[in-house]
Amino acid sequence: MQDLVSVVTLGSVYLLFALGMSITWGTIDILNFAHGSVFMFSAFSASLVLERLTLGLVPVLLIGVVVGALMSVLIQVVAFEQIIKRARDRRTAEMQILIGGIGVAIIPLAIAQHHTQSNPFGLNASSFTVESISLGGLRITNIQVLTVLLALALWAAAAVWLRRSRQGLALRAIGVDAQTAALMGVDRRRLALVTMAVAGGMAGLSGVLFTFSLGAITPESGDTLLVKAFACIILGGVGSMLGVAFGAYLLAAAEVVILTQTNGSWVEAVSFGLIFLVLLVRPAGVFGRKEVRRT
Amino acid sequence: MSDFFNANLVLVQSTLTGLLLALSIQVPLRMGVFSFAGAGSYGIGAYATGILVLRYEMDALPAIALTALGTAVIGLLLGALISRLGGLYLAMATVAFDLIISVIAINGGELTGASTGLFGIITDFTTGQMFVLTVAVLALVAMSEVGRLGRRVDTVRDDPELAASMGINVRRYRLAAFVVSGALGGLAGGMNVLVRSTVGPLDIGFGLIVLALTMIIVGGSRSWKGALIGAVIFTWLPDLLTVIGEWQELVYGVIVAVAAIFLPRGIYGVLQDGTRWVQRVRRDRRAAARGGPVVDADGGLRPQEDEAAVLVAQAAEQPVRELDQLSGRTQGAP
Amino acid sequence: MDLDLRRRPRRAVLAGLTAVLLLGTAACGGGDSGGGGSSEGLPETITVTSINPTTGVVAFAGNAANKGYELAVKEINESDTLEGSQLELELVDTRSEPQTAAQEATTAIADTDVAAVFGSVSSNEAIAMSPLLQQRGLPVIYTQAGSDGVVVGDYTWRATPLMSSYYPILSKYIEDQGFTSLGVLYTSATPTLQEVGSETVPQMAEDLGIDITASIDIPATTQDYSAPISQVLDSQPDAVVALLVGAANVTVMQQLRQAGYTGPVLGNSGASAGNLLPAGADGADMIWPVDFNFQQTAQSSQDFVEAYRAEYGEDPLNYAAEAYDAAWFLARSIAAAGSADREAIKDAMVSEAESTFDGALGEGLSWEDGTIVVPGVVVRWTGDGEELLYEGSGGA
Repeated sequence: MQDLVSVVTLGSVYLLFALGMSITWGTIDILNFAHGSVFMFSAFSASLVLERLTLGLVPVLLIGVVVGALMSVLIQVVAFEQIIKRARDRRTAEMQILIGGIGVAIIPLAIAQHHTQSNPFGLNASSFTVESISLGGLRITNIQVLTVLLALALWAAAAVWLRRSRQGLALRAIGVDAQTAALMGVDRRRLALVTMAVAGGMAGLSGVLFTFSLGAITPESGDTLLVKAFACIILGGVGSMLGVAFGAYLLAAAEVVILTQTNGSWVEAVSFGLIFLVLLVRPAGVFGRKEVRRT
Repeated sequence: MSDFFNANLVLVQSTLTGLLLALSIQVPLRMGVFSFAGAGSYGIGAYATGILVLRYEMDALPAIALTALGTAVIGLLLGALISRLGGLYLAMATVAFDLIISVIAINGGELTGASTGLFGIITDFTTGQMFVLTVAVLALVAMSEVGRLGRRVDTVRDDPELAASMGINVRRYRLAAFVVSGALGGLAGGMNVLVRSTVGPLDIGFGLIVLALTMIIVGGSRSWKGALIGAVIFTWLPDLLTVIGEWQELVYGVIVAVAAIFLPRGIYGVLQDGTRWVQRVRRDRRAAARGGPVVDADGGLRPQEDEAAVLVAQAAEQPVRELDQLSGRTQGAP
Repeated sequence: MDLDLRRRPRRAVLAGLTAVLLLGTAACGGGDSGGGGSSEGLPETITVTSINPTTGVVAFAGNAANKGYELAVKEINESDTLEGSQLELELVDTRSEPQTAAQEATTAIADTDVAAVFGSVSSNEAIAMSPLLQQRGLPVIYTQAGSDGVVVGDYTWRATPLMSSYYPILSKYIEDQGFTSLGVLYTSATPTLQEVGSETVPQMAEDLGIDITASIDIPATTQDYSAPISQVLDSQPDAVVALLVGAANVTVMQQLRQAGYTGPVLGNSGASAGNLLPAGADGADMIWPVDFNFQQTAQSSQDFVEAYRAEYGEDPLNYAAEAYDAAWFLARSIAAAGSADREAIKDAMVSEAESTFDGALGEGLSWEDGTIVVPGVVVRWTGDGEELLYEGSGGA
C-alpha cells in the first residue's frame, strides 16, 4: 500500500513537469528541451532568494512560478520565435527548435553550476517545513499531498482550458492546422507566449515542489526528468491531456514496481522497454490521435 | 605539423568518430527516418569491439569488421520492428533503444564491466587505419547523395507517396537507413574504443544523441559535408573555449543556440547560399549585359541544382493549398 | 576475493601494454619523449600539470584538489626539498569530460617540459588517461578515481585509498551500537559505491555475523527514494546503510526521516563537504568513514590543516589533503631521482613507495599496488557540522 503512495506522488511529479511540455508540444508544436533547465533554475532562483529572506511556502512557490514563466517567455521570444520566422518549413523548424532548446538550456545550467560548483542546493531556509502525516498506517508528507493535489488540479484546469475556452479552441486549432487558424483570426504569437508562460510556470512550480520534497537537487537534476517527461508524453500520445496523465502514472508505477520487486538496477531497461512495446502496439501512443503530419 | 598532430591526437581521433556518429544519425534523417538508433549502435559497437579484443583476443580489424556487421544486422532487426512508426514516435522508440543499451551495459556484470566499463583495450590499431576507414565510409555515404540514388533518397524523404508512385520501394529504403545507421554507429563506437582503450556506461548515454544532433543541425543536415563541418566544430570548439575559463560552458550554449536560430540550414547551407549568391551575381551581370530577365522562375536561388530536387522543392513550396486544409496534410504531389 | 577481482584485469592490462611496447606500434608512432632537462641533476624549473575538472559536474572535487596541490607546491618551493629547483604547477581543466582529459594527457605527453602529471579526480576521466600515460611513460598521481583501470602500471599512482579498503573501520561502530541487521541502499552509478554496496558491506556483515535484511541497487536516474526506502524499512533492519552520491544523500536522509526511521544511517564520504546542509536537522546522525577529516589528531595532519587554514581561511576537505600528499610524494621522488627525467622519476616513485611516510592523511601511510593506504576516520553529521567519532588503527 505504501508503494501505491509512492506511485501516486512520483507520478504527480512527472505529471506536473510533463504537463507544460505536453501543452506546448501538442498545441504550438514546440518540443522545448530547455524545460528541464527552467525547472531547475526556478528552484535555484528560489534558493538564492532564500539565502537573503526567510519566506513561507506560498511566496517560494510564487517565485518558482514567476521565474519559470518569465524564463519560458524569454526563451520563446529570443529563440523559438526567431527560429520559426526563419525556418523553411514546419519540419526543419521542429528540429531547429529541438537544438535551439538544447543550446539555450546550457546557459542557465552553466550559471547554476558555476554558482553551486554542482553541489546540491535546497530550500531548507524557508520557514516551511516538510512534515510527514500518518494516515491509517500510510505515511505521506504535506508536500507530497500538495504536489498530488496541485498536479491533478492543474492538469484538470489545463484540460478544461484547452477544451472549453476560446483560447483553448484557438490553440487546438493551431495544433491541427496553423494556417487555417491564422486565417480565422487567431493571434498565434500572443497565444504562443501565453502557452509558453503557462508551461514555464508549471515547470517552475514543479521545480520548487520537487526540491522541497527531495530536500535538495543539483543543477543537473532537470535533465533526468526531461527524458522521463518525453517518455510520459509519448506513452500517452502527443496532444492528449488524458494521455500525459496516463503516461506519467504508468511510468511511475512501472518504476516503483520494478524498484521494489527486483533489486533495482533494471528499472530503466524495463521502463524504456515498456515504451518500446507500447509504441509497437499503438504507434501514436495510447491516447494519441492519428498522426496528422507526414511521416 | 607532426608536433601539432601528436599534441592533438585525441581531438583528431574524436573528430573522425564524431563524424561517423553524426553520419549514423544523418543518413536516416536524409531518408526521412527520424531515428537516433545510431547512438545505440555506437554503444553496442564500442562494447562489442572491446569485448572481442579483451575477452576473445581478436585483432583490431577483424573485431571492427565483425562489430559493424553485427550492428548492421541489429539495425535491420530494429528497423523491421519499428520502421512503421512515424516522426517523433519513431525518435522516441529509438531513444528508448539507446537507453536500454546503456542499462544493459551497467548491468552486464563481468562481461561489460558494470559501472566501471571496459578498459585496457589495447591493440595495434593506428590512427592511419582509422583515417582510411573513415574516408572510405565517407566516400560511400557521399555516393548516396549524388546521381540517381541521391535523387531517389531525396524523393523518399520529401514525398514518400510520390516515391511510391514512381516505383521506389519506400519501405526498403527506410530499412536500408536503419542498416546503414547501425553499421556507421557500430564502426564509430568500435574505432573509438580502440583508440581510447576504454568505454563506460556514461560514454554511451543520451549525451551522444544530443552531440550528434548538434553536429548535424549546426553543420548542415542534408549533406555529409554538413556532418563533417559539425564534427570538426563540436570536437574542437570545447577545446578552443577552454581559454575562456570558467564560463566556457555558457559560451558553448550560446553558440549552439545562435547557430540553431540564425542558420536554419546549418553552416553548410550558408556556404552553399554564399556560392550561389556569387554565381547569381555573375549571371545577373551577364544577363544585364544582354538585357534579359534578371530573376528566374523560382526566385533565382537554385541555378544548376540537380533537377529532381528542384522539382520536389517546387512541389513542396507551391502545394495545392486547398487540398492541404481538407486533409490536414502538407503533401504536395504534382 | 576483492583483490582477485582487482588484480586480474591489471595483469591483463600490463600484458597488453608490454605487447604494444614490444611491437612498437604505439597509436601514433611518436615514440617516447624524454623528460625535461638533462638527466644530470635537476633543472631550474620542473613543470607539473594538474589535469583536473575545474568546471562541470565534478568541479567541486577538482577545485579542492587543486588547492591542495598549490599549497604543497608552495611549501615544496619554499623548502629545500628540490635543492633550489622550483616546481611549476600548471592547472588544466578537463570540463568533467573523459575525452578532454585524454586530450590534455596527450598534450602533456607531447610537451617534453612536463615531468609529471596530477591526474583527474573522476574515475571516468582517469580510466581514459591512464593507458596513454602508462604507455608513453609519463608519471601520474591521481586522487579519488577509485575504479579499476586507473592504476595500471608503475607510471600510474593513486593518492586516495580505495573506499573498500577503509570502509570496514565502521565495523567497530556497528559492534558498539549492537546492531544485528542492516538494510542497504546503494547506487550502481559509480564503481566505488557499487563495490562497497555489493561486496564490502556484505563481507563486513558476514565477518560480524549480522544479517542484511534488504539490499537495493538504485539506478542513477532515480531521484525520489521513497519507494526503495519503504521497502528497506519494511524488512526492519537495526540500521540503514545508504551509499549514494552528493545530493542524493540529502534526499535519502530527509525521506528516511519522513518514513519514520530515526536511527543512524551509515553513509559514505559523498555526504561530506557540507553536502548534507540542505537536509537540516533531518541529516543528523549520518555516519561515514573517510580517509581524512580536518579534526583528526595525527600531528602531520594537524600541521597540514593549520597551513591550509592560513593559506585559504577555511577547513580543508579530503580532496585537498589527498592532493597535498600526492604532491609531496612526487617531490620526494623527484628529489630521490635527482632528475626531472620521466623514467627516473617513475623508478624513484617505485622505491619511494616502499617506505611509509607521515602526511596530511595521517601517520605511517604506505602504498599498496600503487594506491595509498590510510587508517581512516569515522565522522558523524550533527545537522550542521562534522563530528569526529573515532580514528582507524592504521594499516587497514
